[in-house]
Amino acid sequence: MKKSPMKLESSQTISGVDFENYFQPGSLKEALEIKAEYGRDITIAAGTTDLFVAYYERLHTIKNWLDLSKIDELKYIKFSEKNVKIGAMTTHLALKESEELKGKFPVLQAAAADVGSPQIRSRGTIGGNIATSSPSGDLLTPLLSYQARFKLETAGKSRWAAAEEFFTGPKQNIMGPKEILTEIEVPLPKNDSSGYWIKIGRRKALVISTLNFSLVLEFNKEKISRAGLAMGSAAPTPVRLKKIEEMLVGKSLDELDHRKLGEEVKKQIAPIDDVRGTKEYREDVAFETMINALEDIESRRG
Amino acid sequence: MQITLRVNGEERTLDVTPYTRLLDLIREDLGLTGVKEGCGKGECGACTVIMNGELTASCLVPAPQADGAEILTIEGLAADGKLDPIQESFIEAGAVQCGFCIPGMVLAGKRLLDENPNPNEEDVRYGLSGNICRCTGYAKIIDAVMMAADKLKVEGSVNNGE
Amino acid sequence: MANNKYDVKDYYCKHTTRCTVEGEKKSKRFVGRNVLKADAEDKVTGEAVYPNDITFEDTLYLKVKRAVHPHAFLKDIDISEAKKVKGVVDIITAEDIPEVRKFGLIIRDQPVLVGIGEKMRYMGDALAVVVAENKEAAIKARDLIKVKVEKLEIITNPFRAMEDDAPDIHPDGNILITHNLDRGDVEAAFAESDIIVEKKYQTQFIDQLPMQNEAGTAFYDEKKGIVNIWAATQWLHDTQADIAQSLRLAKGQVRIIQPTIGGAFGKKEDVSVHIHLAIAAIRTGRPVKFTYTREESMITQSKRHPITIYNKTGVSKDGYLKAWETKFIGDTGAYASSGPAVVHKGMYHATGPYDVANIRGISHAVYTNNTYCGAMRGFGTTQGAFAYESQMDILAEKLEMDPAQFRLQNVYHIGSSTPNGQQLNHSVNAEETIKRVMELSGWKGGQKE
Repeated sequence: MKKSPMKLESSQTISGVDFENYFQPGSLKEALEIKAEYGRDITIAAGTTDLFVAYYERLHTIKNWLDLSKIDELKYIKFSEKNVKIGAMTTHLALKESEELKGKFPVLQAAAADVGSPQIRSRGTIGGNIATSSPSGDLLTPLLSYQARFKLETAGKSRWAAAEEFFTGPKQNIMGPKEILTEIEVPLPKNDSSGYWIKIGRRKALVISTLNFSLVLEFNKEKISRAGLAMGSAAPTPVRLKKIEEMLVGKSLDELDHRKLGEEVKKQIAPIDDVRGTKEYREDVAFETMINALEDIESRRG
Repeated sequence: MQITLRVNGEERTLDVTPYTRLLDLIREDLGLTGVKEGCGKGECGACTVIMNGELTASCLVPAPQADGAEILTIEGLAADGKLDPIQESFIEAGAVQCGFCIPGMVLAGKRLLDENPNPNEEDVRYGLSGNICRCTGYAKIIDAVMMAADKLKVEGSVNNGE
Repeated sequence: MANNKYDVKDYYCKHTTRCTVEGEKKSKRFVGRNVLKADAEDKVTGEAVYPNDITFEDTLYLKVKRAVHPHAFLKDIDISEAKKVKGVVDIITAEDIPEVRKFGLIIRDQPVLVGIGEKMRYMGDALAVVVAENKEAAIKARDLIKVKVEKLEIITNPFRAMEDDAPDIHPDGNILITHNLDRGDVEAAFAESDIIVEKKYQTQFIDQLPMQNEAGTAFYDEKKGIVNIWAATQWLHDTQADIAQSLRLAKGQVRIIQPTIGGAFGKKEDVSVHIHLAIAAIRTGRPVKFTYTREESMITQSKRHPITIYNKTGVSKDGYLKAWETKFIGDTGAYASSGPAVVHKGMYHATGPYDVANIRGISHAVYTNNTYCGAMRGFGTTQGAFAYESQMDILAEKLEMDPAQFRLQNVYHIGSSTPNGQQLNHSVNAEETIKRVMELSGWKGGQKE
């Protein structure tokens, strides 16, 4: 087709000296070996939707790169009798589209559908979301609610960490310098369950959560047999609100005092003032959200 | 380092660094400036391309991750000189104002219709939610995607009849 | 090109709109017809050329080192390390361009580069221009420029700026401009009013945020002595004149070519990349290109003014506006830009579409160390609208009147005159508009349920 004469192909000179290593291993084994050698001196590139934002105009300052994008063995969603195992390089889009997840983990799937935008979901990964450990990470609250655990591997060794023990501060976690997050395991609900997910932000898309909320309730007949409640952007890490879960377990829905539980949620979280919202706003929204969640679940189970 | 990728059907081999953004590679090395940079941080969708079949913010992709990829940019949509129905619809619906978001919008619309030929307005809004227009032309942009869906249906039925 | 004769109609047809249906091209009538945009096809194919899409062979890339503090004297600037970066062609500081003058849309108060001993007044002030073979080298060199400053009090609040002991941001003080408005006998009208409402309103900074950041390419034609600049601007000829005076060139030596613009909304009224590009093009003799990042665009270029508005309004108990007193304090940021005109226009529209016989107002544009404010859709009246419409609602509530009815009986009609004495002789549709809105919205009198 016609092309304006003002549009040229123009390769700028590439210095190629500012990075030392770019590793793009095709297997997890190789990746673990590289990570073992470089430890914290290597930057892991997964979907790069956070990395490229954080390093805008400073990408050349990253010396060593470990690109996991070509490791196909980290991209899967596998069901067994007791749980689902998700490879760390599985994208938000794959989670959202997964037929197998549908019905079983509606809250996780709804959260994946609310991440960023189509352009972000096609690239961003569940492993990246977890390892970045942002207090507002959208997948993190459902993973806490579903009591997921994460597989952390080093060359030759691996360990499992419960989601609620993983996050230690804003963008901080328990991962060691040689470890790579490789798999997420989520137990299947034992009984019939209902869930509620909401992401509060200034817009519906392309927004970092001002608050996100996930509630998963398992029922044994009418009584709640297990509760998983977690919130994001409500504390320095995504938090599981165990105390409230305890208040729910053993009760039937009509025995619950929604307002009292809402008040309790307010007490259990520790939000801060930031550009997305004030502490007070977040507390009020947390209160309302808890009430809405219970009402919604109640109406659906009707 | 070198990568090889297919852009709009043409195979290209290029020298890159890990910190060469796919966006710069397409705009500068390949001169395909229909792909725009609005924010550089994945927030606006102006740099949208379709990479391996999915909408992608090219400003957030390190070039080596595009090695072996199949990429469609706005320039590839009417490569044979004939406008895609979605491009026609954008013109006819008056959806084009300053035009800076349009390449991304058109590709997002195309990707949506490829998957869902009968979208409702809500589907279109969701499919285009990664693209910002600051002339506030959303209403007509949505009209354009719906119009394209209708056009494709008519075309499809004609083809089936043959 | 210069000898090309074209008639206006032809130009209109080719460049602004294109007729949709064959045979209609001969028609002179466009109103009421569906007309396709002439440039839409270029835009949907990616073919349209925006400033950042232009590349010449051998293009050099610019990056600008910006202020390190919102209000400080520049004591020293060290470019020695930056110069060592491979690929750097030139680093321009104020001492290299002593002949270059300040620029500005209304008042020429913006320095092209802040020199040693001079002040940076907001985070967008330019300290040095780096010219390099590629963007990467330009970024690296920019980040290696070392700057020493003597910090001054940062003034972010226009009320602080107006205090006697506040340091002067500009030599003539912090109140850039004062406008007055006085019509009728405001004192007497307030005395006759049954209800008086006095309120303070505050609006915030808003970035126009066009999709395309400021960008441009320039090339100096040495033989002709003409600098060609391909960059977006909303005031082609004003920008040309401003660049020419700043660089001490004749206007004919500055040629601005307007490519397709990726939105502006007021933000591209001000000079942005233009003068830096021209200087770099002239010094290097090579084509140069400069594109702002989004962050740079937000920090450096104009915003919508945050305006503090005081409205004091008197009404009769049957709901007629008697007297209105208003005060507009606009935070114009570090430089004037369109500020003097924005607060002026805002104040003259202080009562919006409502007729008030007695009105008095004062407005100030005040310098602070915030990003400067200029034009944005509405030009001061948008801020005013928030204040007067809120004021009308509050008045209606005090009067226990339907807010729509209260508005209806106070709007302009043919023959009304505005606060600055303009007679409205045609197209006065306020009443019709309000009635239509009431009808379409199923207005039920604004009763609380």
